[in-house]
Amino acid sequence: MKIIEIKNLHKIYNGSSVSVHAVNGIDMSIEEGEFTAIVGPSGSGKTTLLNIIGGLDDATEGSVEIEGVKINELSSRKLTDFRMKNIGFVFQAYNLIPVLTAKENVEFIMHLQGSKKADRDARTSELLKAVGLGEMMDRRPSKLSGGQQQRVAVARALASKPKFVLADEPTANLDSHSTENLLDIMEQLNKEEKITFIFSTHDQRVVNKARRVITIEDGKIISDIRK
Amino acid sequence: MILSIAWRNVWRSKTRSLVMIAAIALGLFAGIFMMAFMNGMYNSRIESATRSELSHIQVHAPHFLDNTESELFIPNGFALAEQIAALDSVEAASPRLIAEPFIMAAHGTGGGKMLGIDPEKEKQVTDIWEHLVDGTYLEKTSRMPPVLVGKKLADKLRLKVGTKINVQLVDFNGDLSSKGYRVAGIYKTVNTGFDEMHLFVNINDLRSQIGIQPDAVHEIAILLKDNSYAPLVKPAVQKTAPGMDVQTWKELSPEMSLITDSMDQYMYIFILIILIALCFGIINTMLMAVLERVKEIGMLMAIGMNKRKIFNMIILESIMLTLTGGVVGILLGIGISRIFEQHPINLSAFAQGLEQYGMSTEISTVFPSHSLGILITLVVLTGLISAIYPARKALKLNPAEATRTE
Repeated sequence: MKIIEIKNLHKIYNGSSVSVHAVNGIDMSIEEGEFTAIVGPSGSGKTTLLNIIGGLDDATEGSVEIEGVKINELSSRKLTDFRMKNIGFVFQAYNLIPVLTAKENVEFIMHLQGSKKADRDARTSELLKAVGLGEMMDRRPSKLSGGQQQRVAVARALASKPKFVLADEPTANLDSHSTENLLDIMEQLNKEEKITFIFSTHDQRVVNKARRVITIEDGKIISDIRK
Repeated sequence: MILSIAWRNVWRSKTRSLVMIAAIALGLFAGIFMMAFMNGMYNSRIESATRSELSHIQVHAPHFLDNTESELFIPNGFALAEQIAALDSVEAASPRLIAEPFIMAAHGTGGGKMLGIDPEKEKQVTDIWEHLVDGTYLEKTSRMPPVLVGKKLADKLRLKVGTKINVQLVDFNGDLSSKGYRVAGIYKTVNTGFDEMHLFVNINDLRSQIGIQPDAVHEIAILLKDNSYAPLVKPAVQKTAPGMDVQTWKELSPEMSLITDSMDQYMYIFILIILIALCFGIINTMLMAVLERVKEIGMLMAIGMNKRKIFNMIILESIMLTLTGGVVGILLGIGISRIFEQHPINLSAFAQGLEQYGMSTEISTVFPSHSLGILITLVVLTGLISAIYPARKALKLNPAEATRTE
């Protein structure tokens, strides 16, 4: 079942002297349960593509449909609400809230969704155990390693039960052990809970784990390989 | 949870927040202490004016205050004073005769206001007897009737206890009347202007000089259990003295009424100026707090925290910061004011200047507790207004760019 359908997507950044065609006519779709890596050199447009899919950036032309909803037609307010309910984000620099504990970081989005405390507690505990941080729930990010912080970020991305998770270079700041560990956790979540993951990455280890690899150059898809 | 995040964010940069909190606390402390000091100063002025000079309510015959003519008297004044003294909330009432004499002494001449009083009744209304610096309180010590003069007048005319003065005034029939008095006592209140102008004699001595009927008085001075009761008791006094002019101390002294009525406004303006100055510091602190957290705010926007909640979070943070400093400053201000309420500030070095304005040289600071709610509201408003610009700045962030900010 298709959860994302992208048609003729363009994104042009108009600078003062030159215009950059960051995404140049991309058509693609993502099926539920995919474990997809979008790869390409720096400046190829992979992060821009991910941002547009995640509703963080506007397309200049074309459309992104998520389960039948054209997100580029939503108002800013509705789009924010849509992101909260449907999309999980994992960022390169973890982007956890430093004043909150791991548990509070994970449950924060559920709080925004208006979930009950009992539900929040149960889900947070389940997710942090799933990413191997069941014993570190009350630690603040500053007391966690980079790998552990990124695992908290994965748990946070899954807390709202999103339709898919967008991970922008999630392993870029991690050592190889932490990378392996994180990828294993995400692969396990993908296989066991059918969570769809879409990565933008340079990291060959991520590419190796991915079951679909989309290569982008100059804003265009140059290959789309399913393993 | 937003409340908890906002509170923890306040303490994210402890030094910066503490500096700001200290600035707010000091600013408010200074404002509140100043407020309590001014309040104490004006309270002392009101206290001295009502206890030594005006009393709380006065009754006169119509137009007496405009002309001060002997024939404008209150008939049956003594009986009326007794009736008024029996009213609820009235502590005492003192009947007075009033004349505007020309005073001749060996070393000079002067004018003033001579009050003929019943010393015992007057004692219950005004505290002149407590301010005696020399002599006795209208005790007859010689053949001549006694007079009580103020220290300022005594210094001006070089009068001493026992000195003779000659008082000339226009009597009830319009003739010039002259009578000798002997200085029995010298008083000194906190108001040198009052001391220079007011002489006290026994009511019967002045009556015989004016030649007015025995039951007539020109003024009934009334002391209430509290000066704030004046407007409430006035109708009852008016009912007891129909056809007479009944005026509260605020009506008798409009300049003092203006001071008391406008003092709160002056104080709020003063506090407001302090808060406006602090506003710029808070804006700077909050702006730094927002600019340091661009990535985090971008993340919050990305995961679905709407703009209203982000705006509220920053506003709350600013209010908490301001309120923390505000509460510390207010508590400090009230605490220190309480200390100086118990142990008055001695300003005797400025006695000459203060006494010209009828103010005591010992000021007990009095924090106007009715201002507490308004002060807290002003502090919260300051926090809120200061956060608007930084919060708007945060809302303009693009989440895609903000999350990747280095």
